[in-house]
Amino acid sequence: MDGFTLVLWGVRILFLALLYLFLARVVRALLRDLRAAAREPADRPGRLVVIESPGGEPAVGRSFGLDVITPLGRDVNNAIVIEDPFASAEHAVLTYRGRSWYLEDLDSTNGSYINGQPVDGVAALTYGDEVQVGQVRFRLERTRA
Amino acid sequence: MTAEAARTRSTGSSSLPRVLGPIRPRARWQELRLLLVVAAALVIGSVSLGATVTGSFAPYDPWGLGIYLAVLLGAHLAQVLAGRRTDQILLPAVAMLGGISLLLMERLPKDLVVQRFFGTSFGLAEVQLIWLVGALVVATTVGIVVRSDSWLRRYKYTWAAVGVGLLLLTFVLGSEINGQRLTLQIGPVSGQPSELLKVILVVFLAGYLSENRALLVEQDTRLGPLRLPPLPYLAPMVAMWAIALGIVVVQRDLGAALLFFGVFLALLYAATGRLSLVVIGLVLFLLGSAVMANLFEHIRTRIDIWIDPFSDPLGAGYQVIQALHAFARGGLLGMGLGGGLPEIGGQPPIPEIHTDFPLAALGEELGIVGVVAILGIYLVIIERGLRIGVAAADDYRSLLAIGLALVVGIQAFIIAAGNLKVLPLTGVTLPFISYGGSSLLANALVVGLLMALSDKGVEPPPPPSSRSRWARLARRGAG
Repeated sequence: MDGFTLVLWGVRILFLALLYLFLARVVRALLRDLRAAAREPADRPGRLVVIESPGGEPAVGRSFGLDVITPLGRDVNNAIVIEDPFASAEHAVLTYRGRSWYLEDLDSTNGSYINGQPVDGVAALTYGDEVQVGQVRFRLERTRA
Repeated sequence: MTAEAARTRSTGSSSLPRVLGPIRPRARWQELRLLLVVAAALVIGSVSLGATVTGSFAPYDPWGLGIYLAVLLGAHLAQVLAGRRTDQILLPAVAMLGGISLLLMERLPKDLVVQRFFGTSFGLAEVQLIWLVGALVVATTVGIVVRSDSWLRRYKYTWAAVGVGLLLLTFVLGSEINGQRLTLQIGPVSGQPSELLKVILVVFLAGYLSENRALLVEQDTRLGPLRLPPLPYLAPMVAMWAIALGIVVVQRDLGAALLFFGVFLALLYAATGRLSLVVIGLVLFLLGSAVMANLFEHIRTRIDIWIDPFSDPLGAGYQVIQALHAFARGGLLGMGLGGGLPEIGGQPPIPEIHTDFPLAALGEELGIVGVVAILGIYLVIIERGLRIGVAAADDYRSLLAIGLALVVGIQAFIIAAGNLKVLPLTGVTLPFISYGGSSLLANALVVGLLMALSDKGVEPPPPPSSRSRWARLARRGAG
């Protein structure tokens, strides 16, 4: 076996080694990304982001982490308190059942709306939908991973 | 803020891409570091190829490789200048696959493909280099310019119509090559519409499934022990099945049919989480395949070759047997780039090696170690897509990202499995590695869209204002 063949063999192995170096670096970056995502609290199935609030309470842009059952209304005992003259004390409740979200209107005076459609009893909604309670509008979003 | 102001803010700023807006560069160190590894690997690979072919340690085709690396650097700098917080791993992964493709095409005989542009004729490697550069330009441009997905989301039925139109056009006007009616030629432009079609399919399915997800999950039609979604929602499934079988019958394109149906089932599962739908889809597909195999000679031939290629080693089974021999010769570490078996009678030993069997060629020259690394890079691309999907703000974007990643992943799986005789051989391309403009550009579009979707500062999705009639009825019914 002469020198040329040996060096060529080395170059071939070096190419394969560089392929794996690339893979190793990428995988390390992916793992770091996944670990960072795992550290963030992801136990909440979603969040409500305020997109319009004439009274300023809750403020526009504020985001509420949602539990499996989240009551909304003017009363201070609600998980999401809505200081709005058009909201009832116990206005509506958001629930997460199975793999879907539902909004139940609790016979509020002015009703609840999903994407501008009035909710009659219980209605299903998905991420990206807009919920209106009183004059306050929210958007249902995934918890950012 | 009033409703009017909110609306203008959410839609107005996105209607025009802000290409000429204020430039705020943002460094992308991770991408640059990975690209440096890619460049080092490709230079070493080129030296290895040059030493094997010419006998001296110098890069085999310094100009070709130089142009490719320069365009990569340009793509990186363009993204730095654009200052978006997009994914930094997709571009290096694609660049590595494209570079391996370039090395492979330089090594294969030049006259496999000869195209003439403006009076100059280009060989295989040069044409592939042109397409690779085009692909990088497309991916980077889409990744920088696309800031809103509403043009995909809002017009999903329009896109579906475009897709069906493309398909019909190919049925009617497509030219037949090797018994497959895949290529559409309009004037000087020719291409394979099925490559573009797979992107349109994902765009449509993501829209359809995200809109009707709740209904597909919640409501049941009981059929004995099976729990099915409401029957009207099974219609698109049956339509997809019919389209897939139609592609098999008219275009004789098993690969595209398998790919489309596979992506459909995967997205259906991602959207609903119901395994029963996937099982039903698979049963339908197997039934359809069995009937097809009995009706059509060419499908039966494919399956016979798959089961026993050695029954006709010099005829129908020749291609598959040569591919298996190539993998066997490669062994663990391969023969080295350029060290594969020389041509038999002026042709490479495997027919269609540059489009259908690049993995066999790489298996021979890089060995199983190299093939595993290449498959690993595809896994990385899939992982990135799924991550982008999980982090997306709403269902549509999530399904779009997952579908785009899976369309590349499933396609790579189908052709890799075909090369290795795990599945019957079908003529789809190996993404980013096979020769071919349509394939490279369509896959570049996929990667560009994934990068655009990965932007953490992307505009929020618009409120889904118009619901389908069924969704409204169901909502009323649920009360």
